[in-house]
Amino acid sequence: MHHTLDLFAVWLRGTSISEAIRVTPWLWPVCEILHFFGLSLLIGIAGFFDLRLMGFMKRVPISAAWTLMPWAKFGFALAALTGVTFFIGAPDQYVDNPAFYAKVFFLIVANANAAYFEAIYRRRVESRALDGDGPMAVKVIGVVSIVSWFFVIYWGRMLPFIGNAF
Amino acid sequence: MMELLAALENSGFGTWLREAPSIWAYPAVLTLHTIGLGVLVGGNAVLDLRLLGWGRAIPLAPLERLFPVMWVGFWVNAISGVALFVGDATTKGTTWVFMTKLVIIAVGVVLLLALRRTVYGRGEAGAVETPTSRMLAAASLALWFLAIVTGRYMAYV
Repeated sequence: MHHTLDLFAVWLRGTSISEAIRVTPWLWPVCEILHFFGLSLLIGIAGFFDLRLMGFMKRVPISAAWTLMPWAKFGFALAALTGVTFFIGAPDQYVDNPAFYAKVFFLIVANANAAYFEAIYRRRVESRALDGDGPMAVKVIGVVSIVSWFFVIYWGRMLPFIGNAF
Repeated sequence: MMELLAALENSGFGTWLREAPSIWAYPAVLTLHTIGLGVLVGGNAVLDLRLLGWGRAIPLAPLERLFPVMWVGFWVNAISGVALFVGDATTKGTTWVFMTKLVIIAVGVVLLLALRRTVYGRGEAGAVETPTSRMLAAASLALWFLAIVTGRYMAYV
């Protein structure tokens, strides 16, 4: 398993796109900045929505808070795109790094949770059926979301320290 | 000045923060700094985007509760930022990038206070939107993003 991942990392690192990412001096810092822009938008907008799902700021209709969510998705897209750029540029720093797998685990939890919410509740949100106080299941989704996004940040920050990358 | 910076950097705390092989030293403080950043800039973005015309269905009044959240993010970062500075004082204390970042943050704080007064300072009249509040929202969003730019840049000086 590990051997296969190492081979994959060696192959990916040898591709011309990986090399291009490494030899363009401004690219990595610019991607870091965009990664943090994305992180802030995501944790701010999604966190706001999660807090509302949990029952804070009840004077904000859930359907209204929902209309800001494209900005959270934009933030996620920014962070994901730049994150993939980091991975392609230096795959060897990630494939043996336990912090990376912890981060991916919480990314999967957060995204599965968000997808579940959209699949089950989106129509009810948009028809304003949830505007008052949502059911307990919705509050749990809010808690899982905000906790897992903060763990994504935590494990991202741990990348250079636990797995000794970079 | 340089002696003071060196004394800070070589103090027990500065040395511990920089060199302790513990996840609770530099890594924990840097993590707090990242989380505070997300809470402050993200919470601010919610209010700014609303004032700039997105999510118009969101009533403004309850968004005043974002300010305590933003201040938590701000103070977490002020304190963790001082700790990070002490650990690296001779570098951070002598680069224009860090000075620029401090100025940006100072202006950002003034803008936040002005934004709160403009939108929520009318007492009984409730929250109001004016051309000024929109301008302040745009400036605030830009300033805190610039704080991220200069903060990230610190990693390369």
